[in-house]
Amino acid sequence: MSNLSKGNYIKPEMKISSLVFENPNLLLLMEHLEIDFIVHEKTVKQLCAASNINEDLFILIANLYNGFQPTEQQNLTRDDMAAIIKFLKNSHNYYENEKYPEIRSYLEQLQIQNNSAEIKLIEKFFDEYFNEVKEHLHYENRVAFPYFNKLLKNEIGGKEEKLEPYSVNEYQEHHSDIESKLNDLKALLLKHVPVENDRVIRRKIIKCLCELENDLNIHSIIEETILIPLVSQIECSE
Amino acid sequence: MNKPSTNIVVFEPSLIVFEGISNIISKSGHHFHLIRTDSLSEIQNHAAHGRFDLAIVNPTLIQNKNKEFASIQKNFPAIIWVALVYNFFDHNLLSQFDRIINITDSAESISKQLTNISSNENHLSLEDEQELLSDREIDVLKQIIKGFSNKEIADHLNISIHTVISHRKNISQKTGIKSQAGLTIYAISNKIILLEDYKN
Repeated sequence: MSNLSKGNYIKPEMKISSLVFENPNLLLLMEHLEIDFIVHEKTVKQLCAASNINEDLFILIANLYNGFQPTEQQNLTRDDMAAIIKFLKNSHNYYENEKYPEIRSYLEQLQIQNNSAEIKLIEKFFDEYFNEVKEHLHYENRVAFPYFNKLLKNEIGGKEEKLEPYSVNEYQEHHSDIESKLNDLKALLLKHVPVENDRVIRRKIIKCLCELENDLNIHSIIEETILIPLVSQIECSE
Repeated sequence: MNKPSTNIVVFEPSLIVFEGISNIISKSGHHFHLIRTDSLSEIQNHAAHGRFDLAIVNPTLIQNKNKEFASIQKNFPAIIWVALVYNFFDHNLLSQFDRIINITDSAESISKQLTNISSNENHLSLEDEQELLSDREIDVLKQIIKGFSNKEIADHLNISIHTVISHRKNISQKTGIKSQAGLTIYAISNKIILLEDYKN
């Protein structure tokens, strides 16, 4: 498992601007949670209060960005689900509409500079991979999130509407597949496919793949160790 | 180079097997310290205290505890997980491990595997760094690229399915690539197959 950066263990009284300068990836967290960037001199605690976000949830995810795994005991409740789902949906949008297209355009430039058969195959590999990822993201948007939302609104159990069942196993299978192909791409570009005057663009691609990997990694930890346990907790209490 | 000791947790129900491993690696020349354990939570506990670097696990014991096992792996990414295989296991189960030792492996090859794993900080042996696939691994690689299943590869090359799985594991370890499409590009880059062959 890789982490782009490891910063301090984040605590409520720390100043958010210093934390972001230490690990700029926290901007992604703020973006996914729809928190304004102009943070003045606010501490984490103040920022959360002003943005109406549970401080514990913010700190939990922010620490993931800083390289700290969540502990078994989390003080989250069903009230946090909406924010978690918002985070996940926004990160889907970031992958699909920003990160993947960015890598795609780099690959096109790479193809111009290094017009070899391998690079063409890498592009094809990437496109197939991207399609799989899109399928998974759409699956979550279509099946998982609506299910969680219904659960949140206490609507599960009513007979009027049939929801497509979602499965935790399916989730995890998709995740490991997505991670493993991304790794393949990194390994091919860094270790195997010969360089032909394409170092600059290749550096950009590899860096971008690592950023994506880091965010995907956090994404699946949130789903698997925060969201899913919370969902089963709610399901059990109904 | 000085050889630091490597701590190994062994999660294996059979005392005979445990003593056997212990005996084999005591003769390897590398200093290993073995800790025997009988539950995953104990492993987790040892891991949390940084008591070991490498775990030898009988896959039977995690068969129905995949989730728990995966979460320990996730929480302690630096630890190397070695499966100790003496009967048939599902490919998915074995793919959770970093390395595989077969019960029929020779003492030399077991010592060599463990010493290789532990003597390099990056968990890669010198051989791995050179990324050289053995002739047999190349045979298996070519079959993977053609899309054959483990069973088919075993039949074609006249080897057991375990051996195929263990070759696959080593190929992925050495190349850093797992998928068939990725391995195809690897093979073309390294001139193991020709593009024309692939297109056919």
